[in-house]
Amino acid sequence: MSADTTDRIRRILKDHGRLSADATIIAADADLYQAGMTSHASVNVMLALEGEFEVEFPDQMLRRDVFESITAIGSAVSQLTGG
Amino acid sequence: MSGQKVLPALRAAGYVRHMLHAEDRLWVEKNCYVDVVIELLHALGLEPLAAMGFCAAVDFEGDNFTFFKPDHEELRQLYGVDFQEMNVWRPLLEHAQEHLGAGKFISTEANSFWLPDTSGTDYRRNHVKTTIIIADVDAGAKHLGYFHNAGYHELGGEDFDRTFRVGTEPDATVLPLFAEMVRVDRLTCRPGAALAAIALERLAVHASRRPTANPVRRWGARFAAELPQLQERGLPYYHAWAFATTRQLGASMELLAAHLRWLADARPSASLTTAADEFQRLSVGAKTFILKAARAVNSRKPLDASATFDEMALAWERGHEALASGVAALAS
Repeated sequence: MSADTTDRIRRILKDHGRLSADATIIAADADLYQAGMTSHASVNVMLALEGEFEVEFPDQMLRRDVFESITAIGSAVSQLTGG
Repeated sequence: MSGQKVLPALRAAGYVRHMLHAEDRLWVEKNCYVDVVIELLHALGLEPLAAMGFCAAVDFEGDNFTFFKPDHEELRQLYGVDFQEMNVWRPLLEHAQEHLGAGKFISTEANSFWLPDTSGTDYRRNHVKTTIIIADVDAGAKHLGYFHNAGYHELGGEDFDRTFRVGTEPDATVLPLFAEMVRVDRLTCRPGAALAAIALERLAVHASRRPTANPVRRWGARFAAELPQLQERGLPYYHAWAFATTRQLGASMELLAAHLRWLADARPSASLTTAADEFQRLSVGAKTFILKAARAVNSRKPLDASATFDEMALAWERGHEALASGVAALAS
């Protein structure tokens, strides 16, 4: 996952994740749900990711664990963008 | 003045949630009422999984799925825990001091705006009615320990004052919030086999009350007709709609699956295990759908969700067929 992708994911989490931790410095493998991201917020994060990266998560990726960490999100985004 | 605390060892720091609220659940939070009951039972050393059979009767009610709550009579039968509505005729804080001092809990409606455990959603942001169970109160220290959503939390200071309306003039136009007393003086910790025997009897009753027509198919038809309106009203409206429908269905089916697996551990039954698999499949489908529908609302693009609803509806039918078969076999 490129630094640019990570930065874009962090910005989305900052704007939509409502984390109790600082999204710009939280560990890439930190559990975002434990960091305060609710199911409600995760919906908004998913929509923002789709807009930012111009992708659409297929049904099999519409799972809680796909959005559980920056690393997990980055992996999913990379699969969809071929990056 | 010292406070009143029902369970002396209970602390927010280090509190370990019940497995039904583990982070790997599809729906960590179900609804505010069932969530606090699960954690209260857990904190009392009881097994809340035994009380979740009522989810078998969850139905689609047009603009809601059943806001599912445990049956109070069943809580008495299983655990000796007794919920009774409380007449809130004086300030809630005075009720709390009296009843916690006598070893009772108080379940009450509260405003999430003043509950710091909701910092990701409503704390100091939105005024939203929810349910908490008061377990520890100290008026002098302005300290409240309470069950809410998936855990046990503490608050103080201004949050305490506003939750209990301390320091505000009495206002006849502000009606008291709904509250219940929870008595645990007849608490019974039954062994697993005895608990399962009661749960199985109760499950037969709940299963007999299952909807007569497939609720998922009725919901699917309603969604198809309502999607343009959801798109028109936007995401905030969608989130409220999804909580009342998708989340209640998905969370109740995950709870039902967990209940059936717990029961099948005590009373082995291939049918109950099959039913659990089907209800879990339905819950997974709801989780996927809540995100797909959000996308459709956000983008205002059409969404043909008929295949998703077909899969969920089929899982509901298969689940209930297996459930009826399993309950009948175990009862004979």
